[in-house]
Amino acid sequence: MPIKLLLQMSVRNILRHRRRNGMMLAAVVVAVAAVVMMNSLIRGMQQDMADAAVENLVGHVKVLAPGYRDDPGIQKNFELASDWRPPEGVPEVAGWALRVRVPAVIMSERGTRGIQFVGVNPRQEGISFLSSAHMAGDSLKDASDGRIIIGQALAEQLETGLGRRLVIITQGADGLNREAGFRIAGLYDADGEGMEKFFVFTGVNALQKMVGAEVFTELSIRLHREPALFALKETLVELFTGLEVLDWRELEPQAAAMFIFADAAVLIWFFVMMGALVFGLVNTLITSVMERIRELGMLRAVGMRPRSVVAQVVIESSVLMLIGVAAGVALGLAGIFAMGDGLDLSLWSEGVESFGMRTLLRPVPLVDDVLRIALLSLGLGVVASLYPAWRAIKIKPLEALRR
Amino acid sequence: MAAGGAPADSASPLMPAIAWRNLWRNRRRTWLSAGAVAFAVGLTGFAMAMQAGMYGTQIDSATAFFAGHVQLKRQDYIDRSRFEHVIGGVTPLVRELESRPGVASVAPRVEAFALASADDRSFGAQVLGVDLERERRTVRFFNRVAEGRMAEQPGEVAIGSALARNLSVGVGGEVVVLGAGKEGGVAAMAATVTGIFNTGMADFDRSLMVAPIVAVQDAFGLGDEAHTLVARIADVDDAGEVAAALNADLPPGVVARSWQAALPEISQAIEVDALGGVLVYAIIMLVVAFSVVNTFIMTIFERTQEFGMLRAIGMRPGTIMGMLQIEAFFIWLLGIGLALAVAGPAIFWLSEYGFHLGEAMSELAGQGLFLPDRLHAKVNALVLLTSPLIMLAGVQIAALIPSLRIRRLRAIVAIRAE
Repeated sequence: MPIKLLLQMSVRNILRHRRRNGMMLAAVVVAVAAVVMMNSLIRGMQQDMADAAVENLVGHVKVLAPGYRDDPGIQKNFELASDWRPPEGVPEVAGWALRVRVPAVIMSERGTRGIQFVGVNPRQEGISFLSSAHMAGDSLKDASDGRIIIGQALAEQLETGLGRRLVIITQGADGLNREAGFRIAGLYDADGEGMEKFFVFTGVNALQKMVGAEVFTELSIRLHREPALFALKETLVELFTGLEVLDWRELEPQAAAMFIFADAAVLIWFFVMMGALVFGLVNTLITSVMERIRELGMLRAVGMRPRSVVAQVVIESSVLMLIGVAAGVALGLAGIFAMGDGLDLSLWSEGVESFGMRTLLRPVPLVDDVLRIALLSLGLGVVASLYPAWRAIKIKPLEALRR
Repeated sequence: MAAGGAPADSASPLMPAIAWRNLWRNRRRTWLSAGAVAFAVGLTGFAMAMQAGMYGTQIDSATAFFAGHVQLKRQDYIDRSRFEHVIGGVTPLVRELESRPGVASVAPRVEAFALASADDRSFGAQVLGVDLERERRTVRFFNRVAEGRMAEQPGEVAIGSALARNLSVGVGGEVVVLGAGKEGGVAAMAATVTGIFNTGMADFDRSLMVAPIVAVQDAFGLGDEAHTLVARIADVDDAGEVAAALNADLPPGVVARSWQAALPEISQAIEVDALGGVLVYAIIMLVVAFSVVNTFIMTIFERTQEFGMLRAIGMRPGTIMGMLQIEAFFIWLLGIGLALAVAGPAIFWLSEYGFHLGEAMSELAGQGLFLPDRLHAKVNALVLLTSPLIMLAGVQIAALIPSLRIRRLRAIVAIRAE
């Protein structure tokens, strides 16, 4: 039987019961739209967490001296020319930064706190949150700027402010304590208070001078796109024998676990929604077949082949799903559009930040995701029509005609 | 249609029997509709039980592990956390608080920041002065020592594993603590390391030192004073009310905060997660309600003749609609039965034995998200009744919408309908 005729029959069958099929369509539309929206929110969350992890002075890949992770301190260092550049031919490198990062104690006349003291070259820090953070006062001028930048929250704790001096104590390369005074050049405002209380920055050369060694403790590299990570890691492993080359998933296992979890959540929600849908779909299709027993029997009697009957039922289901999925995707995208810049979660800011997310949850609709949802839904339409189709070909023409 | 001559209406004992029989006129459809209901109820019930279990353990590990169910601090200490913002007269206050209703135990803590040194190595450390005997009744943290034992006497200290590594000291080693005292003077304390704890939580392991409260008070120039009083409440669920009751009668400037207020990140994370859950459940139920509406559209369409006949012999439209409502109720009942048969055992098994979260999640457990490595489902009335009852309302409404047209049915036209 020509496919055009089958298609025509299917469409007409659907139009014979507008109320019923309309209701079925409504269910498909709601389910698909919900999955599309939820998916984009989960992706937004996932990207947020990954970005936060990477921007958080981690980068996509980091090179560290062995043992630094267990015992972070100036002793676990490596030497590298300060004008080091990644080798030619490594693709997608967005930037890199050489830093010295050591635990330290910071003191004002009003308080004492433990911090991470980070020596940076401001020109290289385009890759971390430091370049985009809102800053009161000055930024660091260059790698030998001997002033410091501290977080707003830390400044409040220490009851200090711009232009004041703080004393910082840390261990020198020789293992002895060093103590030095630093003037506050600027106060930065990061996404989370945790960072503001934790990181204090100065010029990398100034910090090297303080610890008494021209060494670094980390090289952080950021990529334009994550997929280049593997190639970069391989190159770096060859380049830095004897050092540890780690990517952000290894450095931030919590963010990485959340990342994997989000991938799974996308699929789980899809199958849950479709599970809820499939009962109604099978129910509708079976009814559509059973109320046409006589008709189908007649068609069979005049020579319609069983496989055409199957094709007709499958097409009927597919047409229904196709319309539903198209409308559902459209509604879902409209919903995403309506969310605009994102959902404001600032009511739960501490909770959201403890997940490593921002308080503004942006939906990130990915073409791949939408296509996958659409294709899987259509596939489900076919699968759901198999049982009704099988019922349809079991009809014996003679018996059906006698009813 | 009449039993003993009485007219059949939806209150008639005959009605449920008729409705029940009607269901089995289209067995497949009934099972599919009940299946949809079972899917929605079973899945949401299951998910809610798992959520409740997860929240329960999250709350428990966040509070019972270290932070306590209710915390008392001075308001200015909460706002600015300065060392001199201490609660005075702690010993009598703790005793008095322990006699308040709902309070199981109270432990005072002194919280100081200091520089810890061993030989020529120095690191910043959070020095916690505790009443060990009280702490052990209040939270679990102090029962967990990886090596050695907790600090019991003045001159003893227990420290976090990462701090021990950074200072390169072991049990028996000496540490010197230097900080600023209450009056701004130098506070110094020398102690022997008696124990090393390893919680897996970076904050604790990297910077915490635990010493007897008297020793810390002495060293930092405090009298019978403390920064925080941590309380365990007999039943965690009452933390909010107990905190409110305590607040009615406390020394001036001191406030009691339940864990929800003291650890907003935990309660908010739970709220966001629960809100997301509610949205998803609502959509699942909506989708299922649509299929139930569809079931009744089909039923009513096929039975137009029958309804016309019933109208013709004098049954009122309301009675027919009542019959359909009873049919819907039975579909719901079947769905609940199915859900109990399938999801029930899974929920009960998981509430008994839990399931292992796997390596990735154990990673998270150690990172301060307070997830246990084994997740148990929690069954309570809320979990068991919410989704079935909402689904019941959904099913009855779904059956009602298409049956409204029965009111407009004209017997003659309906009987002739094909």
